[in-house]
Amino acid sequence: MAIDHECSCSKNPLVPTLCKVIDVKQETPDVQTYTIQTVDGKKPFSPLPGQLAMISLLGVGEAMFSITAQGDDYIQSSIKRTGLLTEAFHEMQPGQQIGVRGPYGNHFPIDDFKGKDILFIGGGIGIAPVRSLIRYCLEHREDFGHLDILYGARSMNDICFKEDCLENWPKAPDTNVYITTDVPSEGWDGHVGFVPSYIEEVGFKPENKKVALCGPPIMITLSSASLLKMGFKKEDVITTLELRMKCGIGKCGRCNIGSKFVCLDGPVFSLAELDELPDEK
Amino acid sequence: MKFKKTDLNEVLKTLAREYTVFAPIVENEEKKFMPWAESKDVEMEGLNTIKPPKDVLFPNVEKMYRYKMGLEGFIEEIFPEDTKRILFGIRPCDMRSIDSMDKVFLTKEYVDSYYAKRRDDATIVAFGCTEAGRTCFCESMGLNPNDAPSADVMMNVSADGEDYVLEARTEKGEELVKKLEGLITDGGEAKKDTKCSLVINKAEDLDKKLAKMFEHPIWDKVTKGCIGCGTCTFVCPTCYCFDIDSENYGAEGCKYRCWDSCMFSDYTRLAGGANPRPTKKERLRNRYMHKLSYFNERYGETLCVGCGRCVEKCPAHLDISEFIEKASAAELGKEDK
Repeated sequence: MAIDHECSCSKNPLVPTLCKVIDVKQETPDVQTYTIQTVDGKKPFSPLPGQLAMISLLGVGEAMFSITAQGDDYIQSSIKRTGLLTEAFHEMQPGQQIGVRGPYGNHFPIDDFKGKDILFIGGGIGIAPVRSLIRYCLEHREDFGHLDILYGARSMNDICFKEDCLENWPKAPDTNVYITTDVPSEGWDGHVGFVPSYIEEVGFKPENKKVALCGPPIMITLSSASLLKMGFKKEDVITTLELRMKCGIGKCGRCNIGSKFVCLDGPVFSLAELDELPDEK
Repeated sequence: MKFKKTDLNEVLKTLAREYTVFAPIVENEEKKFMPWAESKDVEMEGLNTIKPPKDVLFPNVEKMYRYKMGLEGFIEEIFPEDTKRILFGIRPCDMRSIDSMDKVFLTKEYVDSYYAKRRDDATIVAFGCTEAGRTCFCESMGLNPNDAPSADVMMNVSADGEDYVLEARTEKGEELVKKLEGLITDGGEAKKDTKCSLVINKAEDLDKKLAKMFEHPIWDKVTKGCIGCGTCTFVCPTCYCFDIDSENYGAEGCKYRCWDSCMFSDYTRLAGGANPRPTKKERLRNRYMHKLSYFNERYGETLCVGCGRCVEKCPAHLDISEFIEKASAAELGKEDK
């Protein structure tokens, strides 16, 4: 995917803008969504679907996150509690000041997706970047064909963006939503099972269809295998990678896979592009 | 143009009136690039410095911004000042390393403001080697120990050994030479016959060959002795990886960046503990691949300049020159696509 972002060369790209968290939403026991504005109430920047933000809790640390949604005067990131920094994020209350810089990286190839049917597949917190694209497609509904959304969470409680998944998206025009949980949960009468087998069970047809696939590495590997078995082409399956990052602008060195830097050349890659890279993902 | 060797201190003194001059200075029996002062013992000739001069442009630790959270919260950039400097007497390998750092920090979408400021403010006088260390192999990497094409001023010992011969190659270089009026005379023939002591057999297309050798058994062998100490990355003139961290006091503090090393396990470790480069094999493979193949693919040149510092200093005697020879001679197996 070509790099196409607002170049911040005119100012220092490593210095964040002071922002504040204006809303904290508990999505699941270990995922929170933060609505973020600059301290003077503006939108920090306007990312394209799939792009990233470097968010820092000043004094604790800084890490790269996908931007799951945006509005006229805010951006949103959904963050899972996984390590030291995200642990600290989960202590935040509305009003907390944070540093934000970006948008970084490439984005989902929306121009290639135009006129096509789209299959969105999310696993766990991987639904967060996929959601930025779903929202884009729903806002530009006439540009895209039929939409299928398949999302797998560990249990009913672990379903992120419940309003979108269970109410809004199923009502969207020409859109089918398939939710599955890894294990049965009390009160859940939907599908139970892992994402890859559910993909095969539904039996999506590859014709005129693009796939956006995000989730934990094992789920991406197995889901890709299922899709390829079903006749999808590697060029049509688009996924995102995640590695440790510090600078976000392709300089500090650590997020390389071969000669590519995930922060700058990624995070969005097609399976065909990943085939060209060394197996170090 | 030339000036008398005996006038070296006079030349440095003249330049030091307007710039901070970093020169190869011997202190406690060690040669390193330090700000010049009249009391310092400058050694132009002899072997190269143990540490490369990269920290003049890319400091080991550099403050980036200060911040305060709360009612009067702010984030304020800390920008390097007083960076009008001369790097005096760096060797061709180190000059070529700066060319590579320029590509990293100044190209590919984003310009690194801190590096750009220091680089813009620096004038570089390169000095042709007069003697090669036992691990010098720059010629095998396509360099010439007598010449640094991208320097602002190229300086060599004269054929008769009495003078230093200068050639200004850029506007910055011409400006610098102008300041030496009175000390400089016309003419002078540079002695340019230094040869590397280590000559290695490097395959012409090693970068492309290595790109196919990610799964080659060679990696199990070459990485065996590595103890992951990071010395190679510390003394390497082209290693530019950095970490970002903060010094925090309550609600305020300062964010800085500092050199990092791809030889350390936490360099790529993700939250949750997964690590795409879990052992020294993956880490050293990435380092060698980056130097000899990945960088070529991204920026069109090799990132190993053959300075020999990592070979000289590795406590486990790992030798990138030996690796280059082995990889050049290696046969590709069926796993090498």
